[in-house]
Amino acid sequence: MKAWLTFSPSIVNRAIISDLVKNFEITFNILRADITPKGGKMLIEIGGKQRKQAIKFLEKEGIKLTPIKKVVKKDEEKCIDCGACISLCPVKAICPADDWTVDVDDQLCIGCGFCTFSCPTRAIKVTE
Amino acid sequence: MKTVEEINQRIKDGDAVVVTAAEMTSLVKDNGLKETAKEVDVVTTGTFGAMCSSGAFLNFGHSDPPIKMSRTFINGVEAYSGLAAVDAYLGATQPNRNPDVGLEHGGAHVIEDLIRGEEVELYAEAYGTDCYPLTEIKTQISLESLNQAIMVNPRNCYQNYAAATNSTDETLYTYMGTLLPNNGNVSYSSAGELSPLLNDPYFQTIGTGTRIFLCGAQGYIMGEGTQFATDVERKNGVPVSTAGNLMLKGDMKEMDADFVRGATMPKYGPTLYVGAGIPIPVLNEEIAKRTAISDEEIECRIIDYGVTRRSKPTVRPANYHELKTGTIELDGVEVPTSPLSSHKKALEIALELKKWIDKGEFYLTSPVEKLPTEGLVVKPLEIQKPSILVKDLKGEALILARPNDQINEVAQKMVKNSINHLPVVDERNKLLGIVTSWDIANAVAHGKKNLTDVMTKKVIIAREEEPVDVIARRIDKNKISGLPVIDKDNRVKGMVTAEDISRLIGGD
Ligand code: SF4
Ligand code: SF4
Repeated sequence: MKAWLTFSPSIVNRAIISDLVKNFEITFNILRADITPKGGKMLIEIGGKQRKQAIKFLEKEGIKLTPIKKVVKKDEEKCIDCGACISLCPVKAICPADDWTVDVDDQLCIGCGFCTFSCPTRAIKVTE
Repeated sequence: MKTVEEINQRIKDGDAVVVTAAEMTSLVKDNGLKETAKEVDVVTTGTFGAMCSSGAFLNFGHSDPPIKMSRTFINGVEAYSGLAAVDAYLGATQPNRNPDVGLEHGGAHVIEDLIRGEEVELYAEAYGTDCYPLTEIKTQISLESLNQAIMVNPRNCYQNYAAATNSTDETLYTYMGTLLPNNGNVSYSSAGELSPLLNDPYFQTIGTGTRIFLCGAQGYIMGEGTQFATDVERKNGVPVSTAGNLMLKGDMKEMDADFVRGATMPKYGPTLYVGAGIPIPVLNEEIAKRTAISDEEIECRIIDYGVTRRSKPTVRPANYHELKTGTIELDGVEVPTSPLSSHKKALEIALELKKWIDKGEFYLTSPVEKLPTEGLVVKPLEIQKPSILVKDLKGEALILARPNDQINEVAQKMVKNSINHLPVVDERNKLLGIVTSWDIANAVAHGKKNLTDVMTKKVIIAREEEPVDVIARRIDKNKISGLPVIDKDNRVKGMVTAEDISRLIGGD
């Protein structure tokens, strides 16, 4: 999963990340980082067996963790409401309204991207 | 009984009663046929679907010095210019010549760009003549700078169309959209009860010369479209499969980008979403009855697109009411459906046309010629040299492995016979899996002993009755080097390899 870590000024000097990687069986990737003495943010991708324990550790150390979710977005200008995407969605996140406007529910979406590739007008995108 | 002239007089006076085909269905249900036929003057229809057989004639004007264009590209998409000096026909499904763009921006997209008023690049080559000395030209053009931009679509508005599913175990990318494996979804393309030719199934009012709504402009029916058929199975008067269709024309300079769209069917290619609406004058009760047809009364066939032959098997019949509910039952399983054509836009078009007529901006026409109603069937294209089937391939001695064979025995067998694939079968020669020399090397490297641990269980196969060309495509698509041949009872009959096929196809 991908998440933003927020560091408060009081903890930027501690070697939390290296402890994390040393002590847990995880895969860990820093995608973006913006840390100054006044605190900062880091975008990470974390996986592996002990991911859950690792996240608990981070939270215990005072780091705020905000997971990012993949969301599906439809460009209303480009979409022609053809409905080609409807039957491809494995979680029924795409449904036609009564007037056949094709609506996407980003709460249900799991970010699989089936709809993205198959849209004839390239109107639907999965973003983070 | 009314006449078109009488209806036009009422349009002029602002008295005409115009309803959409969907409204007509409920009106007849509520008020009865007799009453409604008297009351309603015009029924408007609409459809907004992917219509591959579309394109445009463009006239660029003469340059100085002049050129007789022999190859023409607009934004990188080739338009056919084997007509006079500065005319070209841009087809909707033509891919971009730039391989990086390819299917993503083809003829259909350029047509949309032009209608949107965008500038596009014209590049043309010529061989040069005494009167047309220039041999190359590169410039910018737009809809405004063109002398004419006339959309001419040889086959639009199919009367009905099949719905598609896919029984194979791989995803297929077709002109019917993405078809999930194991009948995972169904796509259908007709607008159902709003569709123009389903509301006048015997062409009593729609014919050559009929004025219509085409992509936001007033266009015309030029006549029957290509591949037009009349002698087909009908239910409730309407064909249950493709039958009639129309050749349409309209002035691109008057079109509205809201009602036309360049699109790409993934891994299939560009296509044009065309918005078309046809008014039907309610001249008598018979015509009124036809326009009152409902989705429930219109049937189509769900066809298995997993079979890549000309005639594909029917899975089951379905009506548009069922299809529009969003799921349909196939072999006891609820399968989700996708419309492919926009029902929302179809209704918008029927309403827009109604508005034009209500405002007196659009008048009805009687056809100058009727469309054919009998005697036409679609003839197939016979390949002079019949296609070679898998069973026609000269088979080599059949070498097989059993699931409990030892890895080293199997390795020896492969080396001895210099083969790279070995089908694994049960005692009745039914296919269980396949091993390749790579699997064997892998097994040895990891100290695996059992064949069943290393063989591939999901095997891509060839059937005896399939044409070799279909197999060539399958080998290519799956990036494999060979596949077992299976008979009707799933028994292995042999192997075909990429080499066998390239020898055969390359050999003539
Ligand atoms: S496939 Fe694309 S254009 Fe069609 S309804 Fe879905 S998002 Fe819209
Ligand atoms: S990304 Fe997947 S889950 Fe999300 S809407 Fe598209 S098909 Fe459905």
